[in-house]
Amino acid sequence: MTTPLLSVKNLRVSFRIDRSNTFDALKGVSFDVMPNQTVALVGESGSGKSVTSLAVLGLLPKENAKVSSDSRIDFDGKNLLALSRQQIRELRGDKISMIFQEPMSSLNPVFTVGYQIKEVLKEHKNLTGAAADKRAVELLKEVGIPSAEERVNYFPHQMSGGQQQRVMIAMAIACEPKLLIADEPTTALDVTIQKQILDLIAEIQKKHGMSVLFITHDLAVVGDIADRVVVMRNGEIKEQGTTKEVFSAPKDDYTKALLSCRPAVDSRPKRLPVIEDFMAGRAEAMRREQRARGVSDADPVVLEVKGLCKDFYSREGLFGKKTFHAAKDVSFKLRKGKTLGLVGESGSGKTTVGLTVMRLHDATKGEAWFDGKNIFAMTEKEFLPYKKRIQIVFQNPYASLNPRFTVGQILMEPMIIHGIGKGGEDRSKMAFELLSKVGLPEMSFYKYPHEFSGGQRQRIAIARCLTMKPDILICDESVSALDVSVQAQVLNLLQDLQDEFGLSYIFISHDLAVVKYMSDEVMVMSNGEVVEHENSDVLYAAPKHDYTKKLLDSIPKGLGAM
Amino acid sequence: MTTAVNTASIGIERSPGLWSLAWKRLLRDKIAIVSMVIVATFLLLALASAVGLVAGGWNSEIAKNYAPPTWFKGSAAQEDLSKSNKSAASGPSLDTGLSRPEFVNDRDPLRETITELKQQLGQSTSSGADEIKIVDPLADVIVELKKKLGRTGDGDANEVEAEKLSSLAFGADKWGRSVFDKVVQGSETSITVGFAAALVATLIGTLLGALAGYYGGKTDDFLNWFYSIFNSIPYILLVLAIAAVLNKKGILTVVLILGLTGWASIFRVVRAEYMKHKARDYVRAANAIGASHTRRMFVHIFPNISHVILVQLSLYVVIFIKSEVILSYLGFGVGVDTVSWGSMLNEAQNELILGYWWQLGAATLFMAILVTAFSLFTDSLRDALDPKLK
Amino acid sequence: MAAYIVRRLWQIVPTMLGVILLIFFLFNVVGGDPSYLLAGKISNPETIANIRKQLGIDEPYYVQLWIFIKQVVTFDFGQSWSTNEYVSSIFASRLPASLMIGIPLLIVEAIIAILIALGVAYVRGSLTDRAVMVSCTVAQSVSILVYIIVFQYVLAYKFGLFPVQGWGNGFFENLFKYASLPILIALVVSLAPNIRLYRTFLLDEINQDYVRTARAKGLTENRVMLVHVLRNAAIPIITNLMIQLPGLLVGLFLIERFFSIPGIGREVILSVERSDFPVIKAITVYVALATMLANLAADLLYKAVDPRVELK
Repeated sequence: MTTPLLSVKNLRVSFRIDRSNTFDALKGVSFDVMPNQTVALVGESGSGKSVTSLAVLGLLPKENAKVSSDSRIDFDGKNLLALSRQQIRELRGDKISMIFQEPMSSLNPVFTVGYQIKEVLKEHKNLTGAAADKRAVELLKEVGIPSAEERVNYFPHQMSGGQQQRVMIAMAIACEPKLLIADEPTTALDVTIQKQILDLIAEIQKKHGMSVLFITHDLAVVGDIADRVVVMRNGEIKEQGTTKEVFSAPKDDYTKALLSCRPAVDSRPKRLPVIEDFMAGRAEAMRREQRARGVSDADPVVLEVKGLCKDFYSREGLFGKKTFHAAKDVSFKLRKGKTLGLVGESGSGKTTVGLTVMRLHDATKGEAWFDGKNIFAMTEKEFLPYKKRIQIVFQNPYASLNPRFTVGQILMEPMIIHGIGKGGEDRSKMAFELLSKVGLPEMSFYKYPHEFSGGQRQRIAIARCLTMKPDILICDESVSALDVSVQAQVLNLLQDLQDEFGLSYIFISHDLAVVKYMSDEVMVMSNGEVVEHENSDVLYAAPKHDYTKKLLDSIPKGLGAM
Repeated sequence: MTTAVNTASIGIERSPGLWSLAWKRLLRDKIAIVSMVIVATFLLLALASAVGLVAGGWNSEIAKNYAPPTWFKGSAAQEDLSKSNKSAASGPSLDTGLSRPEFVNDRDPLRETITELKQQLGQSTSSGADEIKIVDPLADVIVELKKKLGRTGDGDANEVEAEKLSSLAFGADKWGRSVFDKVVQGSETSITVGFAAALVATLIGTLLGALAGYYGGKTDDFLNWFYSIFNSIPYILLVLAIAAVLNKKGILTVVLILGLTGWASIFRVVRAEYMKHKARDYVRAANAIGASHTRRMFVHIFPNISHVILVQLSLYVVIFIKSEVILSYLGFGVGVDTVSWGSMLNEAQNELILGYWWQLGAATLFMAILVTAFSLFTDSLRDALDPKLK
Repeated sequence: MAAYIVRRLWQIVPTMLGVILLIFFLFNVVGGDPSYLLAGKISNPETIANIRKQLGIDEPYYVQLWIFIKQVVTFDFGQSWSTNEYVSSIFASRLPASLMIGIPLLIVEAIIAILIALGVAYVRGSLTDRAVMVSCTVAQSVSILVYIIVFQYVLAYKFGLFPVQGWGNGFFENLFKYASLPILIALVVSLAPNIRLYRTFLLDEINQDYVRTARAKGLTENRVMLVHVLRNAAIPIITNLMIQLPGLLVGLFLIERFFSIPGIGREVILSVERSDFPVIKAITVYVALATMLANLAADLLYKAVDPRVELK
C-alpha cells in the first residue's frame, strides 16, 4: 500500500468569537488523500469543509483561529502544522495550490492575468523574462484559453467568469503541484461553464498525475470526478468511502438524505424525503409515490403575457445612449394551479420577466392580461388592488425581510395596506395561523428576522405572500441560496401550498433539476429570448433546441445510475 | 406599527431588536462606556451652566489679573504678576474698533500683522466711535467693554485688587475672571453650537439625500446639481464667505452658518444608502405588497439606514465644535458677551508670551477631552451598530 | 476618453452657474448694500450714491448678475475695495506662497501617512494598532489653533529654531527658512485623520479574496502587502489626494495668517475682516472652478490607476 500524499489526523480547529466564547469549527477530522487521487469533501454550509482546506494551506486567520496541538496534517512526509511560516509559505503555490469559489474577486483586479501567473513562476521557480512569458502563455493554452498570446495581457475583468476560473487553474498548476485544493470552484458559474471547468480539472488531474481535494456542497458534482467522498456535517465526518460505495450504498442517514433530497431529472416523488424522513424510516415509501405534471389546453388561464419587452438603458459616449434588451417578445400563458418553470443562465432575462410581470419593472412593450384586464396599462393606483394577487418570493432570504420589523409586523403589514382582516387582533390571529401553516412556531411572531436561518426566513417570506391570498406566486430563485436539505423542505412546502390553495407558480431558477421537479411546463430563456417552451416531461425527454440540449447535457449526473 | 399586539398580555418576552442588540454591544465596550460618561458629564455641565447653576458669574472679576492656578501659586509666574498688571492696564487700545484687545508687545509674533491690520482698518473705517456705530453692530458692546476696561485700568485699581483673590482653581484671565468659569461657559457654547448645527445639517442632508437617492432621475439630477455647488466650494471658504456677508455674531448665526453649509457630506452618504437600499429585496417586497413610496422611504428604508445617519450626526458634532472654535477665534463666531473656547484661545495666544499659559491650557484640555471622548464614542457607536465593519 | 472629458467639462458649466448664483445671492442679495461700509467716515448721502453708482448696486439684479458673470468669464473682478489692488494681481502674487506650503506638505504627508497606515493595518487589532488609532483620535481633538500657538511659541519663539514669522523673496529661502515650520505644523495636524482614512482603505483591501489567493500562491507577506494590497488601496488614496488639492489653497489659512505668509488663505481672512467683497467673490469662484477641475483630474487619474474603470 502506498503512503498517502496528504493525511489529516484528528484535526480540531476552534474560532474565538469574543473573550469568553469559542466556536468549534472542526471536531476531530481525519482523512487521507492518496497520490493521483481525487477526494471530494462534501458538506452543507457550516460543515467545516472550507476550514479544513484553509488549515491544510496554513491560511486560517491567525488572530482568532486555534488548531489543537494533537492535530496533524502530514503532507509528503512533513507535518504541515509543525512547519514554520516561512516553510509553509514555500510549499504554497508550489507543492500545494488552491483555487477558490469566486474567480472574479480571487484575482487581483489591477494586474494582468499574465503578471499574476508569472508572479508564481518567479517566486517558486525563479523564472523571469522571456522564459516566464512563454510559460504563462503555455499555461493559458493548457487550460483552454483561446488566443492566449493576446489574453495573457488582459485584466481579469476583461474575461468571463469561466475564463477567470481557468486562469486561476493555470496559476495553480504553474509549478506542477502535487496537490490541488479546489474550494467550490464551480458554484459561482453557470451550469454549462461548470461542466467545462469540471472536465478541465479532471483532465489536468490525469495529465499531471496530481491529487485533488475537491470541496463542494453539491453531491451530484462529485459523482463525475471523485475517487473518494468524505461527507461532513457540523465539523464532523459523517461518512467516507469510495464514491461508488457512498453513492450506491450510503450508510449514514445524513448521507442518504443528502443524496435523495436533491431533485433528480428522472424521477418526481410527490414530496422530497428529508433527513427526518430517513430517521423515521419512511423515506423509501415517499420516493416511490410519484407526481404527474403537465398542462393541457383545457386548464383555465390566469395570466396571459403577450409580447413582453423590457429594455434597460445606459449612457454611452457624448450624448449617446446604449440600449440593452433584457427581455425580447416574451409570451406565455400561466394556467390555474400549475407551475410555469423559467430556466436560463445568468443574463438570460428570466428574472427580468418575473419582475416585469408583477410590475416591479415597467414593461417597455407588451400586455399582461389578468382577470380580464391588461395590468400593464393600468396606473399605479388602479393596479393596487391587483398587486396583492400576484406575489413574489425572492432569492436571498437574508435581504428580503426588513431587519427592523418583527415577523408579526412583517406579516401584518400587507393586511393593513390592503385592509385585510378587522383590526389588530383579527390580523394577528391570521398571522399565527399562517406561521403554523408554513411550519414555524407561534413564538416566531415576536422575533426579528436575524434570529432565523435561511430556510426559516424563506418560510416567513412565503407566509407574507400568503397573507394576501394571491392567485399567482412568482418564485425568483427562491431556493437557490439554500442548502440542499433545506431546499427540499421549502420545495415540499411550496408543493403543499399549491395543492391546498390552487396557487399558480412562475418558478424561476438556473437549476434545471429543481425546475423539472416543480414545473408543469418549462420555458427556456437565453439572451432575453424564449428558445423553447414545452410541457416539462416532454422538454426534458426530447429537447428540440440546441441550447436546451446543451443545458441538459451539463446537468451533473451524480453516478449516473442514481 | 399601530396594530402591534401587546406582547406583555400574552406573556411572551419580546426578543431583542437590532437597536437593543447594538446597545448591548456598546455596553460591552469599555472605551464606549468611559467616553459616554465623559460626554454625559460635559452635557450636564453645559446644562447646569445654561440654567445658571455653574459659572453664571464668569463675567465678574473675582481675582487679581492673571491670578495663577492654586496649585501653581508661588512659582516663578507669581512675581511678575504685578508687573504685568500695569501693562495690562495701559496696554489695550480700542481706537481702531477692533473687537479684540491686543497687546502691543515687542516680542509679540503677531506684532506686524496687528499693525498692518490696524492700518488697513484705519483706511476703511476711520477712528471715532460715532462712525463705527453705523457699520458696526457691535459698537455698543465695545463701548461697554471700554468702560469696563477703564475701571480695571484706573488709578484706584490697586485698592480694588487687594480685595480680590490671588489664585483660583484654574487661574484667572487678564481681567481677573475665573478661567474655570469661562471654560465651563465655553463648553456650553461649544456643545450648543455643535449639537444644534449638527441637527440642522443632518436634517437638511438626510431629507434631500433621501429624496435624491430614492426617486433618482430628474429629482436626483437637480439635487445632485445643488450638492455639487456646495461640494465644489471648500467648506471653510464658504463658511467664511457667509460670515463676511452676515457680518453678525452670535450663537444662532454660527449654528446657521455651519448647519447650512455642512449638509453636503451627509447628503452624499444618505443618497448612496437610499440608492443601495431601494434596490434591496426587502424594499422590492414592500413594493410588491403595495406599500406606497412614502411608506417605503420612511417606514422601511429609514430605520435601516438610521445608524448611518446617527454616526454622521455624531461626526458632525465633532467637526462643528472644532469649526466654531476657529470661527470664534477669528472673531466671526459668537459675540463678545458669550465665551467660546475659540475666543479664549485668542486671548490666551497673547498671554502665552507673557508666561500666563493657564487659559490656553484650560481651553485646550477641555476641548481635547470632550472631542476625544466624542470621537471615541462615535467609533464605538459605529462598531456597535455595524459589527461587520470590525 | 475624449468624449468623456468633453462631457465632463460640459457638466462643469451648470455647476459653475450654480456657484455663481449662490455667490451672487449671498453677496448681492443677502449681503445687502456695502456702500456704507465703503464710504466710511465721510458718509454723506452723495458719497454713498456715488459709490452705489460705481458698484452698479443701483442697477436691477439681473444687470448686476450679468456684470458678475462677465467678471467671472473675463477674469476681471476690478479692484479690491480696501487696497485698490487689482484682484487678478492679488491672485498672481498670493498663489505661489500657498503652493509652496501646500505641495511639499501634500507629498511628505502622503508618504508618512501611507507608511504608518500600512504598518498599523498589517498589525490590525493589535495593541500597537489600537494605541496608534487612539493617539490619532486624541491628536485630532486638539484644535489646529493650539498646535499653531504652541509650536510657534515653543519652537520659534522660545528656542529660535525657526523664524517666528515672515516671508522672503528667494525660492529656497522661503522653502527652507520660512515654510518649514508652517509645513511641520500642517503635517502634524493632517497626519492623524489621513492615517485613519488610509488605514480603512487598506483594511478594505486586506479582507478581499485576492489577498487570500496571493497568500495561497506562496508570496511573501511583504509582497502581499506592498504589491497586492497597496496597489489596490492606492486607488482611493490617490483620488483622495487629488481632491484635497484645491482645498489646500484656503485650508492653510490659519497657518498663513499666524506666520504672515502672503498666501490665498490669509487673503481670504483679510478680505472677510475688511468686508472686501470683490476679493472674496473672486477667490470663491475660482477655487470652486479649481475644485471641479481637480475632481475631473482625479477621475482621469482613477482611470489610469484602475484598469476596471471605463470612462463613458
